Amino acid sequence: MTPTRLELVMGGAGQGGEPVSPQRIRIVDGALRCLARQGISKTTLDDVAREASCSRATVYRVFPGGKDGVLAAVADTEVARLFSAVAVKMGEADDLEDVLVAGMTEAATRISGHEALTYLLEFEPGVILPRLAFGHMDDLLASSSRFIAPFLARWLDPAQATRIAEWASRLVLSYLACPADDVDLTSSDQVRSLVRVFILPAIGAIQAEGSSGAVVLDTTTTRHQHQPTATRGITS
Amino acid sequence: MEEGPRERILAATYACVARWGLSKTTIEDAAREAGLSRATVYRYFPGGREELIDAVVSWQYLQFFGRLYEEVQGAASLEELLERGLAFAGRSLLEHEVFQKVVETEPEILLPKLTVETNKTVGLIAAFLVPYLYQHGVAPGVDVQGAADVLARMILSLMAAPGRWDLQDPVQVASLVRTELLAGIVGDPTPG
Repeated sequence: MTPTRLELVMGGAGQGGEPVSPQRIRIVDGALRCLARQGISKTTLDDVAREASCSRATVYRVFPGGKDGVLAAVADTEVARLFSAVAVKMGEADDLEDVLVAGMTEAATRISGHEALTYLLEFEPGVILPRLAFGHMDDLLASSSRFIAPFLARWLDPAQATRIAEWASRLVLSYLACPADDVDLTSSDQVRSLVRVFILPAIGAIQAEGSSGAVVLDTTTTRHQHQPTATRGITS
Repeated sequence: MEEGPRERILAATYACVARWGLSKTTIEDAAREAGLSRATVYRYFPGGREELIDAVVSWQYLQFFGRLYEEVQGAASLEELLERGLAFAGRSLLEHEVFQKVVETEPEILLPKLTVETNKTVGLIAAFLVPYLYQHGVAPGVDVQGAADVLARMILSLMAAPGRWDLQDPVQVASLVRTELLAGIVGDPTPG
């Protein structure tokens, strides 16, 4: 299986195997504050340097790729932080329902409270959405479900765990992309009722289906992964 | 079918977009393609190019859902409706050359517009599903409106990114419909 770019990051490889230095983190955090305030196009490397209390030369030394390098590091760092925060919450829960509720609530709370992302979605959707939609969303779902599945493995077999992890990820992404007036996934009570009505019964149905030997999906990879959208084949 | 000037302008604009993309299509191109004057195009789209491009995205989007609606007409059950709809959506997005080209080459223009359309569509799909849910019956304690909303969201999610599902495989789609999509909503689904 080919890991997605996110998984390479999660694997600790960082950008080109560079060690994560305190300076690197300071620059990333400085850039995040700039993005939350003024977005991508108005942020200059000078702004980032000032916010990180270092020189422009230092920013270039740490990120020879300049602004693009900084932005890529910001995205990678924030995804890694999101996944670790979700992992901590799921690790603390001790039944399947609680694991799902904890993970979904934490993800929704972190993503919807993310100031830089909120700014970009509101004011620069043309810059941010192409990184999140269609083929990129397939990648995101693949990374997220492979990351979450092991936390469900105490209760589900790997195939079931991956299916349910993907479904939970879809639910969270849908409410973040398109908020509903009456559903708030930062409330664990509301997430719990979604989990009870829409996820737990699906698990029962998948298990019942599994015992009759119905559908076994490839759990190691996303079918379409890394194929450009336009060339996806119809294989059946 | 009778085609009014507005429709004619939109069809002409769509032809231009297919050829040149969203950002290069101008009011002049659309007018020439439609065989109308610039003034006529402005009469129907006073906001000019921006309004015309927004309108053509909305128009194609609605046409897509119109075809989806026709495709699922006559479905005998909620399950069949969802199976036919998902298979059609997966297939027609893959085969939609203009969509594939624009999403590949001009995502920064298309996706913000598409997001606006999608947000409107959740409610439309949910409203369409409500009578089917009543007819089918839902599990005790399940709110039909809430269930329709979640179903609509998950259908749109699968259309935008099928993930590990192959929507062209009827066996997979049948499983998806009876488990993830419906198990909680209709309760105790009976296979077949």
